[in-house]
Amino acid sequence: MTDHLVERVREALRVVIDPELGENIVDLGFIYDIAASGGAVRIKMTATTPGCPATSFLREGAQAAASAVPGVVSADVAMIFEPAWTPDLIASSIRASLGFAAVN
Amino acid sequence: MIGGNISRWTMTYFAAALTWLLAALALMAAGIGHPATDVAAPDTLVLVHVICVGWLSTAMCGALFQFVPVLLAKPLFSERLALPALGLLTAGLIALLAGFMALGGRLPSAPWLLPLGAVLLVAGFGLVIVDLGLTAWLRPTGPARFVLVGLASLCTTVTFGAVFAFALAGWAGPVGDAVLARGIPLHATAGLGGWLTLTAMGVSYRLLSMFMLAPDVEDRQSRQTLAAGGLAVAAAVGGGAFAIGLGMGLNAVFSVAALLGLTCAALYGRDVAGVFRSRKRHHLELNMRMAMLSFASLAGTAVLGVALVSMGTLPLHLGAFAFLTVFGWLSGLVLAKLYKIVAFLTWLETYGPVMGRAATPRVQDLAAEQRATKWFAIYYLAVWAGTLALLAGEPSAFRIAAAAMTVGVIGIIHEIIRIRRLEDVAPPLRLPAGSVAPHLLFAKT
Repeated sequence: MTDHLVERVREALRVVIDPELGENIVDLGFIYDIAASGGAVRIKMTATTPGCPATSFLREGAQAAASAVPGVVSADVAMIFEPAWTPDLIASSIRASLGFAAVN
Repeated sequence: MIGGNISRWTMTYFAAALTWLLAALALMAAGIGHPATDVAAPDTLVLVHVICVGWLSTAMCGALFQFVPVLLAKPLFSERLALPALGLLTAGLIALLAGFMALGGRLPSAPWLLPLGAVLLVAGFGLVIVDLGLTAWLRPTGPARFVLVGLASLCTTVTFGAVFAFALAGWAGPVGDAVLARGIPLHATAGLGGWLTLTAMGVSYRLLSMFMLAPDVEDRQSRQTLAAGGLAVAAAVGGGAFAIGLGMGLNAVFSVAALLGLTCAALYGRDVAGVFRSRKRHHLELNMRMAMLSFASLAGTAVLGVALVSMGTLPLHLGAFAFLTVFGWLSGLVLAKLYKIVAFLTWLETYGPVMGRAATPRVQDLAAEQRATKWFAIYYLAVWAGTLALLAGEPSAFRIAAAAMTVGVIGIIHEIIRIRRLEDVAPPLRLPAGSVAPHLLFAKT
């Protein structure tokens, strides 16, 4: 049940994109962890650059998307920069389309 | 601070700056100021201050209000100083220009105009320096150090300028007259070298690594670049003031400053090449490709400077040297980055608040790069042709080049307005439910 909720939240987060890279935050590897306990969901996520004005919108967007999932009572999103995001975390299926080298 | 805010008045600064740029281009195309008149003639002073204060400094201040918090991951000291500062800067510049026109006999004599302009500009830049300086001072890391040195240079530039304005009005006594007689190279070096160039370098480090997903330039490397640049400005201004005080010539001082300046440009080239080499994102967007042309212009400026000095013709071709610095390096970089920054900020303002609730376009979807490329190409080709026309002593060819630059800049401005109005975003994604179309001239959030 909890695993299902985590997966539904993960799917819902795909509506949130990084504006610069134009891909969703799940495939970009921004989502470090999703934990669910009852209906309470805790998400640990990151972004490319601390201090960027997009960062707070990404966090709020993730919170809005997660909160809209049926079964979620509360969604808590923490933005963390340790460990730092690297392009290695991008899903291989979208890597080439973003103009990244195949091997980084 | 995790995320920064959108600076409310950055677009207003950009709009004011671009208006001044068009005014400067119109003056050049009309043949007003250098090369039609002497470098120190009142008409040239009008032109130079429209470019350096109206265009470059206003654009730089607008960008810094947005990006100093990004550089530091820390909010701005005060959000409320930006608009009054812009009002003071605009009023001050208009008074200063009117003062120069009165000096040249284009307006009735009014000696008080120049001091009035100076006081208003000191107040306007003072607000900018206090706001950005207090923000950066508490966490002077990496590129923010460049901004601090840039702001210190701005203080110096403005101080010299104010003394000149009072001296031209006959209100500064013999010391003011002495500073006016010999201090202009110091004022120009502090402004173009310290304030505009070092600040542009500092901001570019962050923007380049952010938009190309490259690791930040190592602190040790950027410190070396800043040390060379800061010392170049300090040698020119400090050494120059000392030499003027002792009644000595400025040649020795400026030779040292030039060597340090060349070292700074070379080290900056090394740093930027490193960012390009280590970038994770291999596709280069238009703003990056165009920024490369501005880096090439900076290298061209260095080569031109060395060539003119070695041939002993720098005083004769100072106009060409300054023109390539101002339009090839600084203006080219600012225009390329404006194109990107406006798209990025417009995206955040329009689509940031609805993220997670609706599908949104990408930043790239707001811009039509293919269409915009030709305007940038026209601009750069015209700048390089204009430099050659100045070197060849062909004022008519220079005016044609200035007209071509105007065409390029109007094209770029048209593209920026289209970005701001979301005109290139496909209809289904253009304004999702809950989003609000941005205002052309300021941020609503």
